[in-house]
Amino acid sequence: MGKSHEKLLNNLEELRKSTGLTQQELSESAEVSRKSINAIENGIYVPSTVLALKISKTLGCKVENIFELP
Amino acid sequence: MTYFKRFLVIFISGTVQVFFAAYLMLELLGLSLGWHLLNHNIMFVPGVLVFLGAAYLTLSYYYLDTNKINNALYDEFTALRAYKLGSIGYGLNGMGIFILFSIQDWSNWSFQMANSMIYQIAAFAWLVFGVLLVSFSIGDYQESKSG
Repeated sequence: MGKSHEKLLNNLEELRKSTGLTQQELSESAEVSRKSINAIENGIYVPSTVLALKISKTLGCKVENIFELP
Repeated sequence: MTYFKRFLVIFISGTVQVFFAAYLMLELLGLSLGWHLLNHNIMFVPGVLVFLGAAYLTLSYYYLDTNKINNALYDEFTALRAYKLGSIGYGLNGMGIFILFSIQDWSNWSFQMANSMIYQIAAFAWLVFGVLLVSFSIGDYQESKSG
């Protein structure tokens, strides 16, 4: 797990890089700003359910693979 | 619309509001600045700027920009920033109103003083709103570049 929020661990940066996507590309696909993706990766922001599902759909994995409770 | 354009619109509106609200606040509290606005119609400027700025942002959202741009400019992370700033503003207004109530001379209370207090509260709320606009615009733009 990378830099995570105290209430939600995330693996987003690692998974995103493994799929070869940039933050910009992922943000466009998930219909948010690049800074939102950056904030999630750095544990600053906990995404909504809808956004978490959009990210997981783009990365082709389950939400549980990206986020988990500490 | 870009982050920079949004920054300019909100920052200019906010700065102008802060200037006029601070001026009005100081005047109402009897703290002389040593100079006065000669044309009072100029006090409409901040309101007109906010109106035009809001109209431009709304028009660009509904008619000028693509969904892709709107998704980036008005996403949930930006909304959270606005909510947090709104909460801070609400708290500041509460404290300000409490202080303005506390400094009134209740022993010589009159309609004139009540009128003056209402103006003080309005000027303070206006000042807080301006500070929030400036704060939002700077934070939003900085994050769009480096966040």
